[in-house]
Amino acid sequence: MILAGLTLTQLAMIFGAAAAFATALYILKLRRRTVPVPFSKLWEKILRDKEATSLFSRLKRLMSLLVQLALLALLAFALGDPRAAATLIKGKNLVVIVDASASMQATDAAPSKNRLEAAKEEVKKVIRGLGGSDRMIIAQMDAAVTPLGPMSGDTSELERALDGIKATDARADFPRALRFATDSLRGVDNAEIVIVSDGRLGDAVDASGKVHIGDDVKLTYIPIGAGKRNVGITQFSVRRYPLDKSRYEVMLEVTNTGPEQEDVELSLYGDKTLVDLTKLRLKPGERLPRFYPNLSGASRTLEAKIQPLLDSRDELPADDRAYALLPERRRAKVLVVTPGNTYLEAALLLDEYLDVQLVTPQDYVSKVAPSGLKRDVIIFDGATPLEPPRAHAIYMDPRGPGSPVKVENEIKTPGFDRIDRKHPIVRWTALDDVNVSRGHKLVPGPGDKVVGQSDVGGAILVTGQRAGFKFVAMGFDARDSDLPLRVAWPLLLLNSINFFTDEDSQYISSFRTGDVWRVPVVTQTGQARLKVPGAKDPVLVPVHEGRAVYLGERAGFYELTGAEGAPDPPGGAPTEKASPPPGPAAVATTTSFAANLLDAEESSIEPAKELVIDGKKAGTISGFQIGVRREIWIYLLLAAILLTAIEWMTYHRRITV
Amino acid sequence: MGFLDAVLGRKGPAPSKASDDDLFDDEFQRKLDYLALVSKRVFAGRMRAERRTKKSGSGVEFADHRDYQPGDDFRYLDWSVYQRFDRLLLRLYEEEEDLAIYFICDASSSMGFGDAKKLRYAKRVCAALAYVGLANLDRVSIVSTTDKVQGRMPTTRGKARIFKAFRFLRELQPQGQTDLEDALKTFVAQNKKRGLAVLVSDLYDPAGFEKGINVLRYNKFDPFVVHVVDKAEAKPNLAGDVLLYDCETGDEREVTVTAKVLQRFEAAYGQYLTDIERFCSSKQVPYIQADVNTQFDELILRVFRRGGFLR
Repeated sequence: MILAGLTLTQLAMIFGAAAAFATALYILKLRRRTVPVPFSKLWEKILRDKEATSLFSRLKRLMSLLVQLALLALLAFALGDPRAAATLIKGKNLVVIVDASASMQATDAAPSKNRLEAAKEEVKKVIRGLGGSDRMIIAQMDAAVTPLGPMSGDTSELERALDGIKATDARADFPRALRFATDSLRGVDNAEIVIVSDGRLGDAVDASGKVHIGDDVKLTYIPIGAGKRNVGITQFSVRRYPLDKSRYEVMLEVTNTGPEQEDVELSLYGDKTLVDLTKLRLKPGERLPRFYPNLSGASRTLEAKIQPLLDSRDELPADDRAYALLPERRRAKVLVVTPGNTYLEAALLLDEYLDVQLVTPQDYVSKVAPSGLKRDVIIFDGATPLEPPRAHAIYMDPRGPGSPVKVENEIKTPGFDRIDRKHPIVRWTALDDVNVSRGHKLVPGPGDKVVGQSDVGGAILVTGQRAGFKFVAMGFDARDSDLPLRVAWPLLLLNSINFFTDEDSQYISSFRTGDVWRVPVVTQTGQARLKVPGAKDPVLVPVHEGRAVYLGERAGFYELTGAEGAPDPPGGAPTEKASPPPGPAAVATTTSFAANLLDAEESSIEPAKELVIDGKKAGTISGFQIGVRREIWIYLLLAAILLTAIEWMTYHRRITV
Repeated sequence: MGFLDAVLGRKGPAPSKASDDDLFDDEFQRKLDYLALVSKRVFAGRMRAERRTKKSGSGVEFADHRDYQPGDDFRYLDWSVYQRFDRLLLRLYEEEEDLAIYFICDASSSMGFGDAKKLRYAKRVCAALAYVGLANLDRVSIVSTTDKVQGRMPTTRGKARIFKAFRFLRELQPQGQTDLEDALKTFVAQNKKRGLAVLVSDLYDPAGFEKGINVLRYNKFDPFVVHVVDKAEAKPNLAGDVLLYDCETGDEREVTVTAKVLQRFEAAYGQYLTDIERFCSSKQVPYIQADVNTQFDELILRVFRRGGFLR
């Protein structure tokens, strides 16, 4: 036993002073109050009886004093904060990882609201059972790991931290959480990792390999939840048709992750208006895809929702909704500098969202270029300007010093022998057997990308960036090939234009929660404001290389606002609209996007009964009982209070007086 | 008692001396008139002359015979008896006279205990009964006693003298110890004319209440006990360690008052009242218990009903 508070000498002094004071008060208390009576004879018999017990009375009075002195001794001892030497040295060090992933929103943990609330209750029990020397840190585990405070033994501080945990719509990054826990407990005695979760965590393996938990670290698992029945939307995607961007198609998948057959009602909303309503019956474990082709209309926001019917049950609400956003259509201004090319003009007519203007090379040099009018894309057909334009450009058979790439010797019958098929400008095209009579070898600059290359000559299709503007250079005249007779011709052109304007057919209609998103945004401050679904105030997110970087954990529609400055990028974000400018130098732009859980693994809510990590089975929690604390001073104080109560009661019942 | 008094162990305040200015107010006097009327109705048809004392003398109604003693008035010899039995016997007649009523008001300190409720009540009872007596043309006298006769209102008659009684009673203040025996011995020595002796007291006599009453009995007074009682005294507001002192004798006793002690005290007090009542009953002494919380006129009516006061 050691004293962690005051020293023994100090305690003795305090006790001595207090005891002297109490004794003085006690003596004072014994000085009787004088009271007149009209006829003392009546009291005589009673007093005679009392005298018979006076010795006992004196003893009882002495006992009363002794009780008070014992009370003071207890309080003085409590001031010393006595502790068992063993507990002082060997307090436990705990890292409590609370799962806040989407599956913890399951409502099968009655009487708690959901699994997360039940998990909090379990952790509170552990906190209240902490010993005097025990220390704990609580960490929220979702797509990231967030420690909610320092290592502490203060129960109120820990409970406050625990209350700050909120469920997310993302899956848990279990390996990262374990690495955090093992790192936190490195070199610490009596280490223990407590995982409070439903156990749907996957393997503890990440890019660095398996997470290894040391033999000296105790692993404990508190399982939460009991339900299994759930139906969720596990896929949801929307896209515009590449050649008819006024129409779009929706693909979604509904999965029954439970062990029983479920009936659900699937609703699809476009701009909050019901577009489709379907009743579905899903067998246990069934994945049911649904496809909505040829949808049209002005809808921008799309939302799918499922609802259980009749006796069906759906215990996880987090995966019952999915959101998507269609890219906003706007006309791209395309300037075609050509002496005349029917094939080119015809191909551009296919996209009604292109605002095409034709000029001759002479007019371009004399009129258009000096005017400085902005264009999204300029196509140079057999003509290459000396000054590179301040716009994205397609060069067809470039020549001369104005060419973005060096043009070398002519090559005979080049072909697309090697194609970078992943590049967006060649998507859905078949260029392998295109016959070209002649062309020129293009020499790409540093950072340029060769998309098409001929084995006989060299690069014939190159993309790159000059002065912040993209370009596509084609080393031959289309009319010297059979390319204009193929479907690939308009696709190549439109892909290139979309590549410039970011109106890619691979537009992401929704992000996935739990991933780090990189959303294009224009800002001069290096930060952007992000309005998160369900949050009142926007959060500031960093912007790196023109993209806002954010780890999203909430499903729903987001709004990202930045400040735009000159020069005005022509393409910009996929769905961008101009807001009233905040100042003359900057224009605020708002980008909207959607995010979804869409994770079949996370939708499988059946809790794991046990947890095995790196071949080590997690044990059950033990040694933490509510109300059993290991600080002795608390018990001393309680004993003092009890003694006070007894003394008070006996005094007022005239037992110890 | 203040905190400082408690700490320093000072004694509590002396028994209060409440003002008696409003003791016999108009309301009181109106009630007296009513009581006088009621008393007349109760005793209607009975003439005062019918009252008889035990004293034999020159009345008209034969009472008894006794042997002749030298010096006796020859006129009362019963010559008929002498003729028949040859014995000289004297005829005794019941003497008819005015009834003398003495009100003995205990004015000891115990009567003034607390806010002197008992003494005030005793004064009112004395005044009321005196008024009834005066209204019936009896000879009324009031004396106040402690351990001696403290004051005396001489014998008087007639309703108009009630104010004299008021004045006397109003001036009574609680003081001194109770010693009924000594005080009443003095009283009987001072009052040769026997009569009704109404003792109005709390009977808190350390020497014993019986002795005082017996003094009256043995001296051929007709004692009538009005026992003034304050029931609140049975339940004193005491708790904890206290030092009790007798407001008359000053005797001190330490006591720890608990609920049990209070219960036992209440029982002892009840026993004390019972003892008094039993004693009076056994000695055929009319006894009335006068609770200070009872309206005094109610008490007077009870006195009338009890009988023995007006004969």
